Amino acid sequence: MLEVDIALRRGSFALQAAFRSDAPIVALFGRSGSGKSTIVNAIAGIVRPQRGRIVIGERVLFDSDRGIDLAPEHRRVGCVFQDALLFPHLDVRANLAYGERLTLPAERFVDRERIIALLGIAPLLHRRPANLSGGEKQRVAIGRALLASPRILLLDEPLASLDGARKAEILAYIELLRDEINLPIVYVSHAIEEVTRLADRVVVVAEGRVVAEGDTADVLSRPELNAASGRSEEGAVIDARVASHDPRFELTTLAFAGGELVVPNVDALPGEQVRVRIRARDVSLALERPSRLSIQNVLEASVVSLGGEYGAIVDVELRVGATPLAARITRKAACDLGLVPGQRVHALVKAVSIDRRSVGFA
Amino acid sequence: MLTAAELEIIALSLKVALFGLAASLPFAIAIAFLLARKDFPGKTLFDAAVHLPLVLPPVVVGYALLVLFGTQGPIGRLLEPLGIVLIFRWTGAALAAAIMGFPLMVRAIRLSIEAVDPRLESAARTLGAGRWRVFFTVTLPLAASGVITGALLAFARALGEFGATITFVSNIPGETRTLPLAIYTYTQVPGGDAQALRLSIFSVLLSLAALAFSEWLARRRHPADARHA
Amino acid sequence: MRRIAALIALIALAPFAWADHVTVFAAASLKEALDAAVHSFESSSGNRVTVSYAGSNALARQVESGAPADIFISADTDWIDYVESRNLAVPGSRKTLLGNDLVLIAPAASRVQVKLAPGVDIAAILGDRRIALANPDAVPAGKYAKTAFTALGAWNAIEGKVAAADNVRAALALVARGETPLGVVYRTDAMAEKNVRVVDAFPAGTHPPIVYPMVVLKRSTTPAATALAAYLAGPEAHATFAKFGFSAP
Repeated sequence: MLEVDIALRRGSFALQAAFRSDAPIVALFGRSGSGKSTIVNAIAGIVRPQRGRIVIGERVLFDSDRGIDLAPEHRRVGCVFQDALLFPHLDVRANLAYGERLTLPAERFVDRERIIALLGIAPLLHRRPANLSGGEKQRVAIGRALLASPRILLLDEPLASLDGARKAEILAYIELLRDEINLPIVYVSHAIEEVTRLADRVVVVAEGRVVAEGDTADVLSRPELNAASGRSEEGAVIDARVASHDPRFELTTLAFAGGELVVPNVDALPGEQVRVRIRARDVSLALERPSRLSIQNVLEASVVSLGGEYGAIVDVELRVGATPLAARITRKAACDLGLVPGQRVHALVKAVSIDRRSVGFA
Repeated sequence: MLTAAELEIIALSLKVALFGLAASLPFAIAIAFLLARKDFPGKTLFDAAVHLPLVLPPVVVGYALLVLFGTQGPIGRLLEPLGIVLIFRWTGAALAAAIMGFPLMVRAIRLSIEAVDPRLESAARTLGAGRWRVFFTVTLPLAASGVITGALLAFARALGEFGATITFVSNIPGETRTLPLAIYTYTQVPGGDAQALRLSIFSVLLSLAALAFSEWLARRRHPADARHA
Repeated sequence: MRRIAALIALIALAPFAWADHVTVFAAASLKEALDAAVHSFESSSGNRVTVSYAGSNALARQVESGAPADIFISADTDWIDYVESRNLAVPGSRKTLLGNDLVLIAPAASRVQVKLAPGVDIAAILGDRRIALANPDAVPAGKYAKTAFTALGAWNAIEGKVAAADNVRAALALVARGETPLGVVYRTDAMAEKNVRVVDAFPAGTHPPIVYPMVVLKRSTTPAATALAAYLAGPEAHATFAKFGFSAP
């Protein structure tokens, strides 16, 4: 169980954050500058809060009331940073060994060969960081943190410096880590897709405060998320189960509490649980069930509420069975259709808009 | 090529410069680290004090050394019972030489420490390294080129040190008559010009060699080493 | 109003309107005495005088290199000979100004007693400490000391114990600070420094007489220089010098 309750002031920035989690991965989600990196730095011991408590399991890392403040080297916290921060004067092998050597044999529980194999970094061992690609650096950085046998792994925007293909690559490794290594992970990111894919539990941080905390699907569907992630990201996250595959057209049918979704091929076996993110801007509404339409997903929904009275765009809160969904349409359309709360409508979701990035594995 | 007397002078110069360098290097590194990484009240004043030998006339520095480290001076009086006498001795010449080159060393080392990404040091701490280990395994190796440059600059400066030396420890053959003092002595005596010239040429060659070596080292080291990868 | 002020200033400065500037190079040991004499000259003649003090050897070389001096006063004959032999002095301008004594000094608090006679064992008194002299190879005060000690048979023993200072005043400072137990300077220097005491004077005959010759330099273009030279050789200046301990030539 990770418990964090801290207050910190740095210049004009004031942070007051409290949350707890015993999930395998907890994500700290929010905009740049929201304070999520500061929280992680406080857990690592790199910055010191003015006041508060940080506990991992039974280990108290920081407790201002009792005068406890463990130095970073005693916290057994593994950190992976956005810029990898590999030691440029050491080769990969020496970088990996840096923390490992400082760990007492009795405390080591990470098998070096296994980690090297898991991360696929064996061919890189004798290279210098300057000769590594961004993705390779991050993998080495993850390996280095793991080989120090930490009690918890902190990943601070590890994908932010990578391009699309690298991001996907490292994301897969992190999913692997989550599943293969029995280590709690704190994942800091401002990218909702990453959070959706990886985390069971989300803590939303905005302007130095925790504004939401809970299960991923639940938290990320809430409208107040707009401020934290930017308006265009408004949407819903749906827990679903893989029902079947269509090999001919390479599609997958997902079943959720409210209906079914057809999406491009999801790489999972029938019965597996997934999380699906549907952006509000990808949802259209119709009063009648349309016919001869390319859109694969037509869901029976009812309007819960409508957004603001101004601007060109309005967000419509829907309910598909028991599952919340959001649709972003023009205010004119809402007016023309005469939408009112309680009204029954059809929500149209293009299968194509639910891509690989929008589906995460629970 | 060189006479025995000349070799003795050169050997003394090298001894004085090297000993002064070796003794002051740890202090220079420590002070450079303090100035690069720490904030404390009076830091600006401290920084200015470190740079004093660079801007003061060498004779003033020599006089200050005489007052402080002479047998009647406050520090000299403490050192004497320990058997450490600086005045009229080559150790005093080494002190004068080291002090004159000290600010150059501190500047160069400080710049290279500042160029080391402090986040690398944080990363090392999270991996289990204490502050001292971080300094010796991460900070110092990455700042090495600055340390070497600073040391060579200070060494070249020490080789040419005159004003502070002659004011503090006088001009004693075999003890404090380093290359610059020897050259000066030869210019004082009518007919000593040829000798002075010989030693001058050698002095220039020596300093050039030190500086060229420093340049070569700076170029040889991978420029990317100074920044994080 | 402003015009009247300017007129008054002009009248007040009139004596200096045609004032000349004289530059004198003089041996370091003359400082206090020469400053006083020069000051009197300035007030009575209205000319400005600048004096540069250093070891006579350094000054001679500067003159040789073309330094803009009008008058050169050395602490021994060697360096005046040097300047004359290079044709830098106005022929016939050489005058011997002053005399001085050579003395052995010790820090004021020291109680050491030494009689300077043939066979004196200075080395034993020094022990493992040093004796402060002006550079015995080049500076007049140092050369006199070396000659004197040689005459007394003490030079060989103390040659390795010499702390050679740049000029006689620096040697004086070392003794005054107590860095050396003994030193050799001119009597006039010893009198100027209250932190030293005279232990003994070197007997006549152990060294050539200490005289301060003066020459006017050829490159001098100002008639005030000749006037100053005449003044310095005259009775008024002599009285001033005597106050500081200098003897007649």
